[in-house]
Amino acid sequence: MCGIVGYAGQRRAQPILVDSLKRLEYRGYDSAGIAVVGKGLQVFKSEGEIAVLERDMPEMEGSLGIAHTRWATQGRPTTENAHPFQDCTGKLAIVHNGIISNFMDLRESLEAAGHRFTSETDTEVFAHLVESELRGDLMEAVQRAVARVEGTYAFAVVAEGGEEVVATRLESPLVVGLGNGENFVASDVTALLKHTNRMLYIEDGEVVRVTKDSVRIVDASGREVTREPQKVMWSLEDAEKGGYPHFMLKEIFEQPSAIHDSLLGRVETLDAEPFFAGSAFSNVKIVACGTSYHAGLVGKYIIEELAKIPTTVQISSEYRYSSVSRESPLMVLITQSGETLDTMAAAREARKRGNKTVAIANVMGSAITREVDHVIYTRAGPEIGVAATKTFVTQLVALYILAMDLGSQNRTLSALAKRAAIGQLRSLPRAVQDVLNKAPEIEALARKYHAARDMFFIGRNINYPVALEGALKTKEISYIHAEGYPAGELKHGPLALISKDSPVVAIAVRDHTYDKMLGNIGEVSARGSPVIAIGFEGDTELAKFADDVVYIREIPPLFSPVPVIVALQLFSYYLARERGCPIDKPRNIAKTVTVD
Amino acid sequence: MKAVILAAGEGMRLRPLTVSEPKVMIPVANRPILEYVVEALVKNDVEDIVMVVGYRKERIMSHFEDGRKFGAKIEYVVQEKQLGNAHALACARDRVSGEFLVLPGDNIVDAQAIGDLLRAGKCQTALVAESENPSKYGVVTIEKESIRGVVEKPHEMISNIVLTGVYCLCDKIFRHIDANVAQGEYGLSNAVNASLSERPVTPIFSTGLWIDAVYPWDLLELNAAALEHLPARTSGKIEPQVQIHGPVGIGDETVIRSGTTIYGPVLIGDGCEIGPNVTIFPSTSIGNSVLVEPFTMVKNSIVMSNCSIGAHSYLSHCVLGYGTRSQSHLMAPGAESYVNISDEFFKVPHIGSIVGEDTTFGTGVVVEPGTVVGAGCKVSSGAKIIRNLPNRSLVT
Repeated sequence: MCGIVGYAGQRRAQPILVDSLKRLEYRGYDSAGIAVVGKGLQVFKSEGEIAVLERDMPEMEGSLGIAHTRWATQGRPTTENAHPFQDCTGKLAIVHNGIISNFMDLRESLEAAGHRFTSETDTEVFAHLVESELRGDLMEAVQRAVARVEGTYAFAVVAEGGEEVVATRLESPLVVGLGNGENFVASDVTALLKHTNRMLYIEDGEVVRVTKDSVRIVDASGREVTREPQKVMWSLEDAEKGGYPHFMLKEIFEQPSAIHDSLLGRVETLDAEPFFAGSAFSNVKIVACGTSYHAGLVGKYIIEELAKIPTTVQISSEYRYSSVSRESPLMVLITQSGETLDTMAAAREARKRGNKTVAIANVMGSAITREVDHVIYTRAGPEIGVAATKTFVTQLVALYILAMDLGSQNRTLSALAKRAAIGQLRSLPRAVQDVLNKAPEIEALARKYHAARDMFFIGRNINYPVALEGALKTKEISYIHAEGYPAGELKHGPLALISKDSPVVAIAVRDHTYDKMLGNIGEVSARGSPVIAIGFEGDTELAKFADDVVYIREIPPLFSPVPVIVALQLFSYYLARERGCPIDKPRNIAKTVTVD
Repeated sequence: MKAVILAAGEGMRLRPLTVSEPKVMIPVANRPILEYVVEALVKNDVEDIVMVVGYRKERIMSHFEDGRKFGAKIEYVVQEKQLGNAHALACARDRVSGEFLVLPGDNIVDAQAIGDLLRAGKCQTALVAESENPSKYGVVTIEKESIRGVVEKPHEMISNIVLTGVYCLCDKIFRHIDANVAQGEYGLSNAVNASLSERPVTPIFSTGLWIDAVYPWDLLELNAAALEHLPARTSGKIEPQVQIHGPVGIGDETVIRSGTTIYGPVLIGDGCEIGPNVTIFPSTSIGNSVLVEPFTMVKNSIVMSNCSIGAHSYLSHCVLGYGTRSQSHLMAPGAESYVNISDEFFKVPHIGSIVGEDTTFGTGVVVEPGTVVGAGCKVSSGAKIIRNLPNRSLVT
């Protein structure tokens, strides 16, 4: 997972490239590099964050260039392995996001032809490949070179003395931004929003040549492609921290308005239009990765409750290689970015199997939205913090909406029950605001428990996946070893790990599993573990069992995951802050995973 | 010139409306009070703004972010403890030098008033206004076109000219603030008073607008004033047989159902469902995602986002905080009444009820005029509320 940017225009390329690169830092940040074409081809690379590159790089003149931020998948994160890579002549520079799977074969044949390699990476192969194919026109050379490459990629190439950036993609994202007298390429629109909101999305296999005043696209067979630019509505200011110390905290506090946006126009109490008129599904399969997978697990309980349709949830990378079942489920694919590689592949696989597909995605016009029959956008706005927060909560909102739709179509959800559910959805922003008002209390708890080495999160029923998500948040940003379990499973193993040094976070809202949860809390506190419970206001019973209680406002249990996860997000945020962790950029984790 | 907006305080006299947001964020015509201040500054090309924030600062930061949406460049300074407005200003001392504007974030001032202050072109000026109620403010005495003295909240009549809290000051003021703060005196008008001996302060009278909202009923007045300038913009879905008279703003994805009649000025936010057969009278603001069920009538009220008002209800001169939910037949009429705010009684010519956020009413609840119902209360069906309720009360 890496980020690439390119610029062809009239202004100095260097500051524009570095600034755009910073906006891609969420995609990876263990090394970075830049190449500018001016008097000759100037290349500089460095290990570490983009700030290091910015500090150490020399002034570069020229108004054409490319840059790269890297997250190592092949080769160590060192300066040698940083992009851009050059060919033997030093006249070409290339940057790459993705993986070249046949790079060993290519490297052997190129080495046999006399090419000398300076790094351990797959990317360098492409520089030499273009060199070997270069007979005057750079675009044609790239077309010939990619024909020999297997894998997933987005490449951008510049040449000494040239006036263009040539770029291409296969399964890795690539977008062209159109300016006045200047044009851009990037992995993601957020890198370019400062300069333009007119974007051309490049499709798989296409090669594009971008100069300061022209954009030419050809497809894999060399035919010219004409494409209308799309206007992107996100504005740059959406990506600024606005007074908050971290994007994650800003995004946590944006959740009431994100939920509002996500519901807007979708929850009329009367006459809402169904998504799939006339289709009845005997089962649903949700496929996703990471936090989106946890949203899917919650979605299972929601769909089974509101629509009474049996639902299974599978990790995308597992679904891809699963065997075809006899049933034809409704496939629900959840991905924030809309470009998660495994989920994309799952969408294609589902289509191949002839299933109806619906995607829940946040990024408008992203790759997956072109692979599925129907899209429910979460409308959370750009999420910069690597730890997903508002996108998770709005994914849940989308799942409630989907479940209500399925339920009213197969007549398990009466109009009256639907109206009640809509009332609950409409009041979710308030339930979340109430938790946000408790941030100082949660902060105090984090101060108390931040030194823990291990932590366990337990819950039952619909709050079991919320426990998993709470554990994921905690481990990914605070580096505390955290595990989530269904509370009923404690005695089947995890209890052995419980000690006075491992706090247990127990979600104990008053639902039909409440008494069992109290039993589990008793179980762990008897073994000396401090217990932090999350329960409904007015539940005095809970305080007798737990060391600390975070009270949330009472709400029907089916909707409780939303306020509960917000409490856990705040808890993990403050834990990480107390421990001095780099919250928006945890080590070894990238936000969007577009590689295998 | 930079402007410092003081927005750290809670605004206790507006409780229970300040449970989850400070006074400056309370919506007037569906926009926070503070937004009017920022807008007035930007209209005068004052774009560099420092906001001193404290109580529930996240609500401010999430709304304004870095200010670009509002044409401004906003930076934030946190006042950890709300010790008074001079102390608040001192928190921003690293961000200003030379001359700068100071404004309270919880008063509405318009571009004209700020323009008049700027056009005076002097350092150390203060926007002053005539007040019917000078004893609530710092009262000034004026001699030879400069302020001779300031008396804070005088008990006897000195003059009816009061400080609005809007100043153009220079950084020398910080010395006087430090000296005052050291003696436990945190008010800005006192620091200004202390500085008079060294540097004169010119009083500026303006024909522009300055309105202070101190008590909940002031919000209704502010709301009515703001709705006067309402640009009619209707979006959403309006069913047949809906009557709309006068300026009415209707937001995106809002549905106005058949048989509903609206007399403007009325503003309705995004994603609401109104009707069928609802009547809304001037001057009413309804926030986002609000549900108003059939046969309900709303008059001269502020209904904040996420409220739900059941069928056959009557609301007049009311302020309903965020997420107030009532079943059918909520009766909240307005009349002349004595309102109790922090154990002080105020005679208000026409007031309904003030309801804190997330309070729920059963069916057939009657709320007497002038009653303040706290936030998060649960009121059962058939109850009659005749006096103020603290937050989280249960009425069975």
